[in-house]
Amino acid sequence: MIEINNLVKRYGDIKAVNGISFTVNDGEVLGFLGPNGAGKSTTMNIITGYLSSTSGTVKVNGHDILEEPEEAKKCIGYLPEQPPLYFDMTVLEYLNFICDLKKVPRSERKEQLASILSMIKLTDMADRLIGNLSKGYKQRVGIAQALVGNPDILILDEPTVGLDPNQILEIRKLIRKLADKHTVILSSHILSEIQAVCDRVVIINAGKVAAIDTITDLSQKLSGTTKLSLSFKGPSKEVINKIRSIPGVSNVVPVVSNEDTSIHQVEITADSSAKNDVRTSVFYAMSKGGWPMLEFRSMDPSLEEIFLSITSV
Amino acid sequence: MLAVYKRELASYFRSPVGYIALALFSFLSGFLFINQYSNGSVNISTEIMSLCSFFVVIIPVITMGLFSEDKKRGTEVLFYTNPLSLFDVVMGKFLAAMTLIAILFINVFLHMIITAASGGVVNIGSWGSVIVYFCLAILFTSIGILASALTDTQIISAIISFVIILVIQLLQTISTIASSALSSLLSSSLFALDPEKVNSVCSNIAAAINWLSPFSKTQDFRYGVFSVSPLVFCLSMALVFLFLTYRILEKKRWSQN
Repeated sequence: MIEINNLVKRYGDIKAVNGISFTVNDGEVLGFLGPNGAGKSTTMNIITGYLSSTSGTVKVNGHDILEEPEEAKKCIGYLPEQPPLYFDMTVLEYLNFICDLKKVPRSERKEQLASILSMIKLTDMADRLIGNLSKGYKQRVGIAQALVGNPDILILDEPTVGLDPNQILEIRKLIRKLADKHTVILSSHILSEIQAVCDRVVIINAGKVAAIDTITDLSQKLSGTTKLSLSFKGPSKEVINKIRSIPGVSNVVPVVSNEDTSIHQVEITADSSAKNDVRTSVFYAMSKGGWPMLEFRSMDPSLEEIFLSITSV
Repeated sequence: MLAVYKRELASYFRSPVGYIALALFSFLSGFLFINQYSNGSVNISTEIMSLCSFFVVIIPVITMGLFSEDKKRGTEVLFYTNPLSLFDVVMGKFLAAMTLIAILFINVFLHMIITAASGGVVNIGSWGSVIVYFCLAILFTSIGILASALTDTQIISAIISFVIILVIQLLQTISTIASSALSSLLSSSLFALDPEKVNSVCSNIAAAINWLSPFSKTQDFRYGVFSVSPLVFCLSMALVFLFLTYRILEKKRWSQN
């Protein structure tokens, strides 16, 4: 468990972090979200003891990071934005060095490293020089490094940045797997990633907490309306007018129009509090008119939208 | 401390640095030794003292990467976020550099053995020179480590330590030049000072500058005349530089700009 209380970090006149407080519960995956320069990395650096705060406290499993640094640091595995790798060492040499730093007893070492390597799928690379590995593998070595010593808490700063889509998916899967046994704090600006992996999000902007919530609650809070996307074949004006007349529909906006094939796409904004589901009404209206529906889906507000609406206020 | 020490020492021999230092040192010491040996009389002290004057090149090469590389690669995060103290990190790196310097010194030991075996003189003065070698190495290595903690570029770190060690090496020369320049300035008719007083002021200034030189402090060791104060001087200065290095690393964490 991490308790962060009123954290402030000053750089000259600028407050990079300005009074952030939140708590991370055991076994949770917390997403840490914010635009560039919002103070994500600074906050993570303070939690891990790399920087010290100007004021405010960080308690890791009850240990204050400044007063009992050794105890607190033992509970944390940290992957910074730039993985701290020595390119002149092999993967195994490097992980052994990290074991030395984290004071992992010799007797447990072999077993622990073997299990980490197999979990991260690095076993085949164990004797390769880190400098010769691809970026995705380097990132994995960085994660392996954070796992050494079996810390309760993992702090990952943008773990998928600069990876190709396949690698991103793998790393995400890995993080989900790690979440079974660890508390994870994950920062990212790839928003779908947070959506895919995290239980809760902390959104920070300009050094302050803009919102803390579960992703589902957050999207509900922010939207009194639902958006639907509809593609159909038929006369656009007539159809749009028909849909507009359905009770509960507040607006219909054409998105794509193709007069030659008479295939159109519109975006329907509907009042989500309306008791009758507009989707059924839309379906019956379309079928009555004999206009085939090609695609019909609801557009839940993505984290992008939530994010924009919170941070731009 | 042991973890950092082991890594740094091994990394000397993963990169060319260790081999370059070893090759350079072996060449220099071998050259100096063979020169004397072919003349039929070997003075180990002379060889060691000449080698000490090459510290100005060798030590910056050995120490330049110790902290600057970590800063550049981002690996310094490891020292701050793992359960170990920063002073252990400084000491680990310092001891690794000192170990390399001791490995270099094996050359000279071989020369001592050869000298003794072929009927030459290896006396108390030679061992005094060995002490001087290690004292100066400790002092200069601590300076080199401080320089590498100041910057994240190896070359700049090497230049900083090169300049500082060069100045220390030239302190004796600087003291003579400074005092003679000052005395010729003060004894000019412009000031109309008592020439005796001018002389005493200038010689005191020369003595003060000279006092700072670890070379002049230890010069009697090679004749077998030992004293504790030069050792205390070198070791305490080294401790000061190592402590400053530690403070610089700590400062990064607290820095507000």
